[in-house]
Amino acid sequence: MKSPAPAPDPPESETTGLPGLRTWRAVYWLVAGVFAVVVGLLTMLSRMFS
Amino acid sequence: MNTLDYVVLLGTLLGVAVYGVWRTRGPRDLGGYLKGDGRSRWFIIGLSIIATQASATTFLSTPGQGYQGGLGFVQNYFGGPFAMILIAAVFLPIFRRLKLFTAYELLGQRFDAKTRLLGAALFLTQRGIGAALTIYAPAIVLSSVFDWPLDLTIICTGLVCVIYTVAGGSDAVRLTQKYQMGVIFVAMIAAFFLLLAKMPAGLGLGDALTLAGGFHKLEAVDYSPNLHPRYTFWSGTIGGFFLALSYFGTDQSQVQRYISGASLRESRLGLMFHALCKIPMQFFILLLGVFLFVFYQFEPSPLLYARQSREFLAQTAPADQLRAVEADFARARDEEGRQLQAWLAARRAGDATGAAAALASAQAANARGDDARHRAGALLDAAHPPTQANEADYVFITFILNYLPHGLIGLLVAAFFAAALNSKAAELNALASSTTVDFYRHLVRPNAGEAHYVFASKCFTAFWGLFAIVAAVYAHLVENIVQAANIVGSLFYGAVLGLFLMAFFLPRVRGTAAFWGALAAQALVLVLYYWVLDISYLWYNLIGPALCILFSLALQAAQGFAPKAPAAS
Repeated sequence: MKSPAPAPDPPESETTGLPGLRTWRAVYWLVAGVFAVVVGLLTMLSRMFS
Repeated sequence: MNTLDYVVLLGTLLGVAVYGVWRTRGPRDLGGYLKGDGRSRWFIIGLSIIATQASATTFLSTPGQGYQGGLGFVQNYFGGPFAMILIAAVFLPIFRRLKLFTAYELLGQRFDAKTRLLGAALFLTQRGIGAALTIYAPAIVLSSVFDWPLDLTIICTGLVCVIYTVAGGSDAVRLTQKYQMGVIFVAMIAAFFLLLAKMPAGLGLGDALTLAGGFHKLEAVDYSPNLHPRYTFWSGTIGGFFLALSYFGTDQSQVQRYISGASLRESRLGLMFHALCKIPMQFFILLLGVFLFVFYQFEPSPLLYARQSREFLAQTAPADQLRAVEADFARARDEEGRQLQAWLAARRAGDATGAAAALASAQAANARGDDARHRAGALLDAAHPPTQANEADYVFITFILNYLPHGLIGLLVAAFFAAALNSKAAELNALASSTTVDFYRHLVRPNAGEAHYVFASKCFTAFWGLFAIVAAVYAHLVENIVQAANIVGSLFYGAVLGLFLMAFFLPRVRGTAAFWGALAAQALVLVLYYWVLDISYLWYNLIGPALCILFSLALQAAQGFAPKAPAAS
């Protein structure tokens, strides 16, 4: 079986296909935001039960 | 383990392996064999990245780490999401545009052949040792718990992995990882909820968390700027960022997982999937360990969890000293149990003062119990046992064997082996790719046909698999091999990452300066680690690339800066 030639990658500006997140920059900010929320929750957990 | 457990264990492992071979049968070209069919969607890519990183140690030992040290280890993963963002935004588009088989080809295109070979050689050295450890670490725990012959456990596990990886290449790795991760998640979630269900009557979730907090097991985030503690917010975020960038951005076993997605979008989403899931996953595995700690405060627990260590101690330690340690341990455990029941009763009665006093007494008794365990450990060390057992590795498996139902025991043991196979298969696939593409095709047979290279890749996969098995069988001859391999990995990643960062971001640095700069940085990192600095190993993931870039820039400045290089800019 021959591996098919990969399709050319779309340009950077192409949408991500995710609802509400049209650019990759928005996806990266979402990931960073989720990280901040997770660290905040872990900090709360540490403080609540210390 | 009874017959049902063995049926579940063998059925699960062999079923997935045979399915992997069957689904990926048929001839392929080199691209298809090493990179896959190029149709992987984001979920499979993300799962494959998680599966490659998470070895059996993740699921077998991390709960023990939560039991002993609490949640603090989760900070080790704080830099991961930011590394994933940088890889998705910068590294990945260039890897895909250049249609690379291995990450080190980029170094050849951007710098020169010697720099490419340096990167590939560092990878083969680290990952070759890593592949041996991937099967050795779980095999030594499981064989001692179940009284299986260690060598036979290593050989059987290794051969199953070699057979399906040789037969199906990258597609077999990805396909089997999908089903093996399913087994792992089901088994771990079942164990988590059964553990909660087996907590003592009257002990609610809030009580368990309060108790864990009282014993400092829920200190997940430490913002202190001290450089000495192994895991702090800063070492985890900054050092962890560079560690994750090195591992996911330059280690072929990971690069191979995401460069062959169906599109740039699918590969990027796979990386983002990992960025979102990894910290919560590690948190729950550590939390499982914290709940194991709470559980064992109310249930009988052994002086040493590793049965092999207990038996060796009984045979070799001076009888009077061992009896004294055992008596102190039993007294401390009895006292702790009584105080914890008093603590629970006071909480139920709303008596905050009484609860605080009982908890303080329980903590003091717990400290005396820990002291007895340390004395037992010292007696054991003095007797020079044939194999060093890490107590934390045996906590979760001891709980599984003593408290979980048959069938689930088999499934959890299958999950541990599945995790070992997941990592090892990806490592073998990557080792074979780099050996074939960076060395064999580049230096030995540059103009052979596709079929020849596929055959060579299969031979190299088998070679690295057999090398890992033999190295794992003889691993016990090397003292503290796990620690040694982790240190070697941490110390050597930095220079390779420095090379890649220069390839991407410093177009005026050329091959000779990069090569010698990387070698000088590597040498200085080793000097700093062994003779100068006493800091958490995570910081070397920052120091290594910084030194590499600094030295390379200085050398390039001495030579005179060249015009911008075209390849990876």
